[in-house]
Amino acid sequence: MLTVALQQGINGIVFGSLYVLVALGLTLIYGVLVQINFAHADIVTIGAFAAYFFTFVFGGNYLASIGIALMVGAALGWLVNAAIFAPLRERGSELLPLIATIGVSILLQNAMLLWFGPIPYAFDSPYSNKVIRLWGGMFITWQNLIIIVVSALTIALLYAFMKFTMMGKALRAVAQDRETAGLMGINPNQLIMLTFVIASALAGMGGAMLGPILVLTPFAGTSVIVKAFAIVIIGGFGNVEGTIIAGLAVGLIESFATQLVNPGLTDIVVFTLLLLMLAVRPTGLIAEKREENV
Amino acid sequence: MTAASAAPALKPRPATTAALFCGEGLHKRFGGVQAVREISLNVPQGSVFAIIGPNGAGKSTLLNLMSGLYQPDRGRMMFDGIQLVGVPAYKRARLGLARTFQKLRVFKHLSVLGNVIAASHIHHRIPAWQYVIHGPAFARDHGRCRAEAHELLRFVGLEARASALAASLAYGEQRMLELARALATSPRLLMLDEPAAGLNAAEVERLLERILRLRERGITIVVVEHNMDLVMKIADRVLVMDYGQHLFEGTPAEVQAHPTVIAAYLGA
Amino acid sequence: MSSDAHLLASPSGKRRWWLLIAVVVVAILPLVFQDSYWRANLIVCAINVMLAMGLDFILGYAGQLNLGHSAFYGIGAYASTLLIIKLGVPFWIAFGAGMALSGAAGMALSLFAVRLRGHYLAIASLGFAVIVHQVLLNWISLTQGPLGIYAIKPPPDIALPGLPVISFSNPANMFYLVAGFAFLFYVLLDQLVRSPIGETLAAIREDEVSAASFGINCTAWKVFAFGMGSALAGAAGAFYASFVGTLVPDAFTITESFTLLGMVIVGGMGTLMGPVWGAILLTVLPELLRGFGDLRLVVYGAALTLVVLFLPGGIVQAVRIARARLGFLPVATDAGARQ
Repeated sequence: MLTVALQQGINGIVFGSLYVLVALGLTLIYGVLVQINFAHADIVTIGAFAAYFFTFVFGGNYLASIGIALMVGAALGWLVNAAIFAPLRERGSELLPLIATIGVSILLQNAMLLWFGPIPYAFDSPYSNKVIRLWGGMFITWQNLIIIVVSALTIALLYAFMKFTMMGKALRAVAQDRETAGLMGINPNQLIMLTFVIASALAGMGGAMLGPILVLTPFAGTSVIVKAFAIVIIGGFGNVEGTIIAGLAVGLIESFATQLVNPGLTDIVVFTLLLLMLAVRPTGLIAEKREENV
Repeated sequence: MTAASAAPALKPRPATTAALFCGEGLHKRFGGVQAVREISLNVPQGSVFAIIGPNGAGKSTLLNLMSGLYQPDRGRMMFDGIQLVGVPAYKRARLGLARTFQKLRVFKHLSVLGNVIAASHIHHRIPAWQYVIHGPAFARDHGRCRAEAHELLRFVGLEARASALAASLAYGEQRMLELARALATSPRLLMLDEPAAGLNAAEVERLLERILRLRERGITIVVVEHNMDLVMKIADRVLVMDYGQHLFEGTPAEVQAHPTVIAAYLGA
Repeated sequence: MSSDAHLLASPSGKRRWWLLIAVVVVAILPLVFQDSYWRANLIVCAINVMLAMGLDFILGYAGQLNLGHSAFYGIGAYASTLLIIKLGVPFWIAFGAGMALSGAAGMALSLFAVRLRGHYLAIASLGFAVIVHQVLLNWISLTQGPLGIYAIKPPPDIALPGLPVISFSNPANMFYLVAGFAFLFYVLLDQLVRSPIGETLAAIREDEVSAASFGINCTAWKVFAFGMGSALAGAAGAFYASFVGTLVPDAFTITESFTLLGMVIVGGMGTLMGPVWGAILLTVLPELLRGFGDLRLVVYGAALTLVVLFLPGGIVQAVRIARARLGFLPVATDAGARQ
């Protein structure tokens, strides 16, 4: 019984780590821009495809393909910001960039559909089947171990970057108050671009590691995106620590729910939790009561 | 019209005038900040009551408590004998309270006239079905609303700009539009949050005249202001706040002479 | 996106002419398009017009970022169909019930989300749409899940004395029915929007804080708008089921929500007429591009993105600019007297 629970726990952490990678990107973007990038999920999908093609078509190393996916993601992030968010920033509308990214998402998904077709790609990483035996009959695949290690490293690096480096602090400054940060000599536009690049790089990486786990079609991102939103909301938009906790939590909850409930219902469980969260604490796990200057 | 500005200290109001609004022991805290602490005030009917104090004194918070944007943590508020605590902001308009905002909140995408008409929400007399089939009551209401809106725009001097987009108005004009909108609700108590902020001397003068004319019409006015000139000229009573607390209350002359007030403003 | 936009539109005399022209156009469309393929498209157009108008009322008029419109569409479709099939309820009563249920669901979501601003509401509505889709997919005993419900009958024939029986298996008649309802709904919404209700919604959309200071109960009105818009979606769902004849949960995914959003934006948010055009264009365009295969959806996504970037007011804005260039209208949106 305990071993089953622990096994599920491991699975939960694996998925949770990937959710965190994807959600972190969203929360970072929201933190600096107060905008949601709906095309974020598609960057995940493209990352997965990039890793697939690098590994199976170009015959590259799978681990290296994670790096490739990272770079592809970064490039896409740069593109989306340059083409969409930067031009729309002057308009000052909350709604338009969001809708534009929806348009980009539809575009990307269907472009991928055109190129890759609807049939799922069998993305078997060479590590998917190699298993490490743990005690009590539990096991962990090398793939899952890689995922946990790479994610943990990346998240830790990001966290350290945000907290301890000058640039990380500048990023947080821009997130708090763009105008004042600008007055302090920080170039908000550059930092916003940096945020996008980092966020999308994370998404690409996440895709490369998700590829072997999820069903790889052009719509793979959609299954992740709404969950990623749920995590960002539960953790609090723009709140890095909250997102990490929430991501792991959702991964674990999902994992245990699959055991206890009909697997088809896990989505319902997760999203009902999301709605409950919104009802009770709309600003996320760490709410802040501030006076609005009217 | 400029006679009003030349007038010396205004006739002191009798102390026995009934209070239209009274607040007792009001408290409001935000996270770690006690914005308003133990504030009590009585606003006599038909008077101009000013609330002044250094930045961060809690003046706007007090106004927000009065208008219902926030609910107090503790304390009571009565408007014309009606308990206000717990009453949401939108219900207070029907009771007769109206306000303007420190930060301009005009409806940017509507016309000037459209702004004032939108503000007359509580005055419509149309049976429900006539919202779908626009019958005679609809037409009457429509005409009446428009006429009243034009009247209000005339009062604040914006009639010529009635069809302009609100966003295209100059700053001072937008402030006047805010005033017109607040008046569209036909309030008995009008709360003005720093109405003179950003206005030039001539505009302040016109604001002053209008406030006085409103008082002549019997409207009670509460003003949060930084502009001492304005306050001294029109206020019947002045409440001075500092750090969210009651510092002093009295006539303008008394306030000007009070050493604690002077110290607070000079930053002891 | 000026809410005074309807004020600068034609005065009501001219408006009546436009409505009359619309009626005539609707009447002759099935005569122009005789083949069943295009007639089916016309019906889908009408359904999408209904959906888009409802969404615009919520999004463009009440300013609520609703990304879950597909949920209400699905609720209307399944509720009405199940009432007919499982409980033998007559079509029109089931239709009304479907509308009422969708409307109620919309009001519930709105009430729930009342404190949520902008993006939070968007995510909440998305989450709601996912939940509804998953429920439809998994509650097999009720909805038969992914297998779907088959052999759904069209609305019952109408037999008026002295006239031939009107059968709705005939696509032309079905079109008239759906388009007729869409037209009625349009007139209803248009009348509301031209009344003080339109002004109230504009106030809420522009700034809720000052709207409240004018006595506007923002919550109540947002709930009202949501209820109206989702009831319309429910009606569309009932028509969809009885027209297509089969019902599967995958017709009501969040992708559908995004498609509807696209129609509203491309047409011109907050103008009521815009979404009509947007729905027509984005229903017909993919069909015209059918030869291009999946490229048509790429075009769709590109259209949405480009419109937002370069023409955020959509088709309506494009028409306005065109008319101005050709000398028909001043470009500045001044609110004239509303006659």
